[in-house]
Amino acid sequence: MAKRVVVVGGGIGGTTVANRIRRALESEVAGGQVQIQLVDREGIHAYQPGYLMVVFEKMRPEETRRDESQLLHRSIQLVKGEVEKIDSTANQIVLKGGKLVPYDVLVIASGSVIHPELIPGFPEGAHSFYDLSNAIKLRSALHAFQGGRIVVSVAGMPYKCPVAPLEVTFMLDDYLRSRGLREKSEIHYTYPIPKVFGIDTVAQPMQRLMGERGVSVHVPFNVDKIDPAAKTISAVEGEALPYDLLIAIPPHRGADFVGASGLGDKGNWIPTDKFSLRAEGKENVFVLGDATNIPISKAGSTADYEAEVVTQNVAALARGESPTARYEGRVYCWIMTGLAQATYIKFDYLHPPHPPTPSFAHYWNKVIYNRTYWDLTARALF
Amino acid sequence: MVVDARGSWCPGPLMELVRVIQEEPVGTEFELWSSDEGSRNDVPLWLEKAGHELLGMTREEGYDRYTIRKKHG
Repeated sequence: MAKRVVVVGGGIGGTTVANRIRRALESEVAGGQVQIQLVDREGIHAYQPGYLMVVFEKMRPEETRRDESQLLHRSIQLVKGEVEKIDSTANQIVLKGGKLVPYDVLVIASGSVIHPELIPGFPEGAHSFYDLSNAIKLRSALHAFQGGRIVVSVAGMPYKCPVAPLEVTFMLDDYLRSRGLREKSEIHYTYPIPKVFGIDTVAQPMQRLMGERGVSVHVPFNVDKIDPAAKTISAVEGEALPYDLLIAIPPHRGADFVGASGLGDKGNWIPTDKFSLRAEGKENVFVLGDATNIPISKAGSTADYEAEVVTQNVAALARGESPTARYEGRVYCWIMTGLAQATYIKFDYLHPPHPPTPSFAHYWNKVIYNRTYWDLTARALF
Repeated sequence: MVVDARGSWCPGPLMELVRVIQEEPVGTEFELWSSDEGSRNDVPLWLEKAGHELLGMTREEGYDRYTIRKKHG
């Protein structure tokens, strides 16, 4: 009987890891000794890093979505269905409606889910760009904006793409200048800790840049509630900021089925060994991307690098070998510092990032990556 | 409860602490492990502003351990 490798989630991590496992086990898949399936709720692949680009009209909405079936190798079976729970004792996935998907090796790449309702007033009072429909709404709101006070705020932890609040702030500044509205506008940035980002090597240059761009910084600012009628956002520290337009980052949680399966912590993040990427206590379950509880960026780049390690470990298990590959914490993320300039952060567990001076060249690299993502990462052709 | 944030550069150890403190009940004691030297300044500063208690800090090989108590909801 064929060994069944099942991947849950058709996002960046799930798609690339499924294609990479197929390639690593090419002869076993072709010979029928290994079968690979990918379970996804809709069968639509979303390139979420594109949403910020949609806001500023640098990508079209349709450029951020493709049918998952077009991205998976033809020998990988796409199973459309919503996971209700994972029975890791019986080694099977239960889909809503009752269908069972048994597995020998499981990879969970179920990502994160935004929960704006966890902040009172958020759904009615704030714009965001963490899903496509809200990115399009924010694009329209900015198009109609004629000057005033904009607040950019991180309203909950954790959130994916930790540099996105910096990016939207700098892109906004550039966007308003390009429309001749910057003199009639104020940009205010809030962050939960006493600086604009989590570590000094990034926070210091970013805060300097904010100073140069005339961005007002409010830290620490842990969002308590939003009052859509009064148009104010309040912090537990006592500060309240009025706004004409609020762009806020919603709180994120892991997928509901993680909690229902008893696999997660309080936020439905799956406790995962930071090196082997195995779910703690589960020999045949690996986790990658946003779904883990590893304290590093929830970002597509993280999932991409983790997929290399999970692929090697899954292939080893499928061959009856010991998984030995280790994830060293590698991440590489661009930071947009305007509409046509960027810097980047590159780091691993032992080496913190040192972003270089922003430039058009770094921005252009990001543009090229956005265009080549579908083949380079999703299909894992290179 | 241990928050092992060694090697966490993005979003950083203090952001991990903010996350965990939000989730746990008042009175919980945490150990935050951080390899970011900036935490030596950030963690006490944030705890003071946020009204939580720093019970102690010890330096280990390559990282620091902060013992923290959540004081309010």
